[in-house]
Amino acid sequence: MTALAEIEDLLRGQGRFGDPSGPMPWRPLVAVGLAGGLFYGAVMGSYGLQPRQALYSALKVPLLVGVSTVTCLPNLYTVNAALGLGPDFPLVMRAILMAQGTVAVVLAGLAPITAFFYFGIADYGAAVAINGLIFLVSALAGQVTLSRGYRSLVAANPRHRIGRAAWLTLYLFVGIQAAWLLRPFVGDPALSTRFFRSEAWGNAYVEVATLLWRVLTSR
Amino acid sequence: MRVFRTIDQLLRGRHTGPQEGGIEVRADTLLLAIAILGVAYGAFMGLYAALRGGSNAALQMVASMAKVPLLFLLTLVVTFPSLYVFSALARSRLTFEATLRLLLGAMTVNMALLASFGPVTGFFTLSTESYPFVVILNVAFFAISGLIGLSFLRTSLTGVFEADSVLPRAAWQVPTAPQTEAPRNPPEAKARAGGAAKDVFRLWTVIYAVVGAQMGWILRPFVGDPHRPFQLFRERQGNFFIAVLEALESLFR
Repeated sequence: MTALAEIEDLLRGQGRFGDPSGPMPWRPLVAVGLAGGLFYGAVMGSYGLQPRQALYSALKVPLLVGVSTVTCLPNLYTVNAALGLGPDFPLVMRAILMAQGTVAVVLAGLAPITAFFYFGIADYGAAVAINGLIFLVSALAGQVTLSRGYRSLVAANPRHRIGRAAWLTLYLFVGIQAAWLLRPFVGDPALSTRFFRSEAWGNAYVEVATLLWRVLTSR
Repeated sequence: MRVFRTIDQLLRGRHTGPQEGGIEVRADTLLLAIAILGVAYGAFMGLYAALRGGSNAALQMVASMAKVPLLFLLTLVVTFPSLYVFSALARSRLTFEATLRLLLGAMTVNMALLASFGPVTGFFTLSTESYPFVVILNVAFFAISGLIGLSFLRTSLTGVFEADSVLPRAAWQVPTAPQTEAPRNPPEAKARAGGAAKDVFRLWTVIYAVVGAQMGWILRPFVGDPHRPFQLFRERQGNFFIAVLEALESLFR
């Protein structure tokens, strides 16, 4: 089976990706996730045309998803078990991994758009904003696959809605902080290329809270 | 390994069906489970002070690991008698020991959920300098896992009360009415029993939450501010709710 046919099956939710009773398609999902993440990362990091930044960004996208997933996994298992959804856990994992695979494929599919806009803009802030938008669109596309996987689960037990909401909340909470730590993703050409920013080791939420406080009190 | 199997079975609600009538797991197994899970989460909590090399960072780590299970067990000691009294008043079939096991079961579920947040706490501890943020994050995780532990207890209590009203009485119990009449109207009896369970639960939840929060306050610090000298317990002042508000305020400054 060609890679393209696998990707199409994943996006359409058919073949071995559409049959929940079959074995979990681990290998194609991990391969697609890694390839898509690496590819989009490389494009995202090529804004300043520095090969090293492109390489770093390529590594960072799969790292971001991997760290967030591993950190939230124990909670996903416990919450599902506590909701009485323990026997469905393999199906939940399948739905989540397929959603992440979809995000990676959509990111890769949108990469040319990012590259196209990089050509036309010289503003670093605009480049960051475009990437934010692309990530948002890909995340929403992932939700389509997730909803597809969850449809039969929710029909069998509506508590799966709670399980899904709990997962998304925690994943987003951890993912935002992971993204904050791993920045820069785009790489300001005016600054030297580094894997991590020296001042990056902080907390995204504390930064936002401090900023809000400053705005509200005009300090 | 039996402990982990028990935790998994409890989480999956194997012991809380209406036919169970209480939790058939030994109290010492549940206590061991609470201790293991509590120490595990305590380690993630103590990591903050340990990594920042405050005075006696290692001591703070050990203290956090001991304090988390202690918080729950001491709260249990304080609140268990009241749950027993209330559930007996509501005519549940639960004996003294069965009530204890039920409560330990709910606490195990609570701790399992808390421990599952451990990696998230660890992740934020590695990347956050803000002490108030870590404190608030921990308060949130304790609150969420506490709420789920309580919902487990509510399910179990409803199950026990329903089991009481629909199952035939035990041989040693003096029947108040002929056996055939006892389950005459199970849906009605179920609803009544469910109502009693709700009353018991509501009353006890308030006690448990207030005692638990205050117990946490007495046993503080759990995270350990690296800028302050190590103290096993802080001086007695203020209360839990004021402290959370203060932490929120300092987060925004």
